[in-house]
Amino acid sequence: MAYMNSSDKMKVVFGDVVLGVHSKGAFGGEGFEYLFSYSAGGMESLAVNGREWLYRAPKPTFWRAVTDNDRGCGFPFRSAMWMGADMFQQVKAIRVFLDGEEIKDFLPPGNNRFQGEVEASSLEVSYAYRTATVPETQVDVSYEIEKSGRIQVKVHYYGREGLPQLPVFGMRFVMPTKADGYVYHGLSGETYPDRMAGGTKGRYEIKGLPVTPYLVPQDCGMHMQTDWLTIRRSSVLANNVKPGKDLSAESFSITFESSGNPFAFTCLPYTAEELENATHQEELPAARRTVVCILGAVRGVGGIDSWGSDVEKDYHIDAAQDIIYSFNIIPCFE
Amino acid sequence: MKNETVPELSWLDDPEVFRVGMLPAHSDHIFYDSEESCQNGEKSLYQSLNGAWQFCWSRNAAVRPEKFYEEDFDSSSFSSIIVPGHIELAGYDRIHYINTMYPWEGHLYRRPAYWQEGKGGYPGQFSEAEYNPVGSYRLEFDLMKELWGKRVCISFEGVEQAMYLWLNGHFVGYGEDSFTPSDFDLTPYIREKGNVLALEVHKRSTAAYLEDQDFFRFSGIFRNVILYAKPEVHVEDLWVKPVLHEDNHSGSFALDLKLSAAGEALESLKGYQISVALRDKAGNLLLERKIPAADQIFLAPEELPELHPWEHKTPYLYHLEIRILSETGMLTEIVPYDIGFCNLELDHGVMKLNGKRLIINGVNRHEWNARTGRVINEADMAQDIACFHENHINSVRTCHYPNQISWYGLCDREGIYMMAETNLESHGSWQKMGQVEPSWNVPGSIAQWKEAVVDRMRTNFETFKNHVSILFWSLGNESYAGDNIQAMQEYLREKKDRRFIHYEGVCRNRAYEAVISDVESMMYAPPWEVKEYLENNPKKPYVLCEYMHDMGNSLGGMKSYIDLLGQYEKYQGGFIWDFIDQALYVEDQVTGKDVLRYGGDFDDRPSDYEFSGNGILFANREPKPAIQEVRYYYGLYE
Repeated sequence: MAYMNSSDKMKVVFGDVVLGVHSKGAFGGEGFEYLFSYSAGGMESLAVNGREWLYRAPKPTFWRAVTDNDRGCGFPFRSAMWMGADMFQQVKAIRVFLDGEEIKDFLPPGNNRFQGEVEASSLEVSYAYRTATVPETQVDVSYEIEKSGRIQVKVHYYGREGLPQLPVFGMRFVMPTKADGYVYHGLSGETYPDRMAGGTKGRYEIKGLPVTPYLVPQDCGMHMQTDWLTIRRSSVLANNVKPGKDLSAESFSITFESSGNPFAFTCLPYTAEELENATHQEELPAARRTVVCILGAVRGVGGIDSWGSDVEKDYHIDAAQDIIYSFNIIPCFE
Repeated sequence: MKNETVPELSWLDDPEVFRVGMLPAHSDHIFYDSEESCQNGEKSLYQSLNGAWQFCWSRNAAVRPEKFYEEDFDSSSFSSIIVPGHIELAGYDRIHYINTMYPWEGHLYRRPAYWQEGKGGYPGQFSEAEYNPVGSYRLEFDLMKELWGKRVCISFEGVEQAMYLWLNGHFVGYGEDSFTPSDFDLTPYIREKGNVLALEVHKRSTAAYLEDQDFFRFSGIFRNVILYAKPEVHVEDLWVKPVLHEDNHSGSFALDLKLSAAGEALESLKGYQISVALRDKAGNLLLERKIPAADQIFLAPEELPELHPWEHKTPYLYHLEIRILSETGMLTEIVPYDIGFCNLELDHGVMKLNGKRLIINGVNRHEWNARTGRVINEADMAQDIACFHENHINSVRTCHYPNQISWYGLCDREGIYMMAETNLESHGSWQKMGQVEPSWNVPGSIAQWKEAVVDRMRTNFETFKNHVSILFWSLGNESYAGDNIQAMQEYLREKKDRRFIHYEGVCRNRAYEAVISDVESMMYAPPWEVKEYLENNPKKPYVLCEYMHDMGNSLGGMKSYIDLLGQYEKYQGGFIWDFIDQALYVEDQVTGKDVLRYGGDFDDRPSDYEFSGNGILFANREPKPAIQEVRYYYGLYE
């Protein structure tokens, strides 16, 4: 992975609706360009060498497609609120820090004072999200960009008494097209907090975005204890980029890496809701995107029975407790 | 010619009629009439009747072609069906999956015959039902030359659920137990050429109350149909009694034989000799005896000083050969059988095999193939065994019915411990909406239901008694407990068989605890409940006959169970529920692709939908991701 020449400062654009940050080339040029929207609820663009990595702004995720055991023990009924929270959320505050200093009054007309691009060595943009739950709580997501293009993502879920257990908590990234596959360093196979003793640590390469073909589509493809994950694509939505010509069979990748504690992830062509909605594999829509969830907490899958027993207590996610985790996104410029 | 029995449709309604004209259950040995055919495994005395049969489906008995068994019946309107196969997968009737509920739930108000004291049966409950499909099977065949002039019998290895059999217009017999062989003597009516065999299969009878397993509810001839010709003198049954002593290297060998002869039995046996030879793997002779033939032979225990014990890692088999020789020394019949020696004992409440604590790393296994349902082939079985070995699975429970015959020999050879379950489950009769509610229950203690279930136990035992891999007999599954299940256990006790007796249902009715089951067997008990039993003066060793319910993506928390093995000597493991998803390939109406479908996908109602998908393998035998967890934990105690 080649980093940008770190002696160059990056350029910050205090737009009226969108805050941009780029290395040397804006508008799909060489280098990176990240856009943080004030209206679209989060980071709107993550472009590297002109290749877009985001289909929609990444958001906190609170739902997994319920497993047969979840269903059997009434979990989705008790925790249904989190499904709504997963689908609908609202930004309540955005904060910006430039070289460690908070910038106030960055919205128009305050931004008129910048006169042009602003140079910086680091930029942090953070979003505070309200949850559509009763009681309501908050999730802070901050993106800290270094001039190399590396993004450190810090996520903080504020625990609140009275909220039902969570099925999962983390960040969901939806990419514009279906990935060719992914490579990760972590545990073999599909693992969960209560099912990972059989996983062997190593580097694993996965072709395509396999969905485990459970009779009724449900949460699947979980990978616990991951050190890094690299996703590779070779298609884009851009009309002016012709596969086989501009992309010349080349593929491009992006990496999520742990910043300290390993993370859990899924990398599937579907959101939890898309999986949830199907009663058979063949009802799943045509696979056209890459949905990556980088997770700070995962509920177990249990196994005692499928008609009443919950997963073991140690593998519940208590929504009254804070969940704090972080990871890095590393663009690849090759 | 003997007086012919007249078949009655009312047998379908009568729990006391479950076998008519059927031969007694016997051991599953193969026999040959020459050394050469034996060596080459050429089953020249057998004739398979698998293949295309003529077939007619009727919605109920009233509209069936009643006289279809007559030789001159015009069957030109019949279609064709492949035997073995399920009627529902051949394009007739409706595929239906349902778990504990009886399949007529909500459609019909039914109670089993004699359930209320002082009240009788329900004549016509099945025989006159508006919906109780009938499959009329007809096959014209010539007898292979090798079978000419001999006593010829037929074996239906599996027919669901009630069957009437005719040959050349003559009624032969009737049977109900769907999952054990039903044999009939065809000798009185068979011809060398131009035979007309007719089988009438009724989807349901009183047996339906005893076959309420959690599976797709199929009907029809779903296992092999085989003719066999008995030589002049024939081993009808062999019961090998290999014993491994407590020292685990010496033992003894005893043998009971039942012989039959073509003519008047005792006279015809005169002059015949029986030769018994037991060899080890290398072919060394351990024992050889010559005994004059008799209709019953008991070879008293013979001591054997040095034996290789049979167990999972070293499934050592000895080769037994029984020869029947005529007065002039001519070979009449030869029966080869592979046997093993193992020492099963209950030592201070711990089940031991060859002196070591038995650990069950087990799975429950339904016979399943996503294209053919419960019709599975040798390749499926071989694949399953390979999967067992790969994942340190050492035990299998034949949930919840006897399996195909060849599976037992495979488990002998591969060192797989078996819990051989009897074909009995009456789940819907005592558990309703998850609650124990035995206000009506079969078999319970109802006298009229006793013989049917004892017979199921007997057939299971008699057929498979020589398989060393069977460590447990299971009386059945989820049928509550009463005098009749106690009678099944008593049947086994009288046989003085050394294997453990297993029955989980007694935990639902502890009044029978002392007289049913050698093991405390539970299903889906959470780890802390298992502990509670084991910490309070456990009366019996503990086995989870079902645990780790792996529905969809649901296998987790296995550690809590495996840890118990290290903590409690009397916890001896369990059988994961279960081995393979039960789902069927269907062509998708929208995409035209083959997709896997489950209960409710056939407009079948009521249904339990995807509840049949609990395997550690998908229905197409691809492993589910969770299997690596099974491999890890079962590997700790292999």
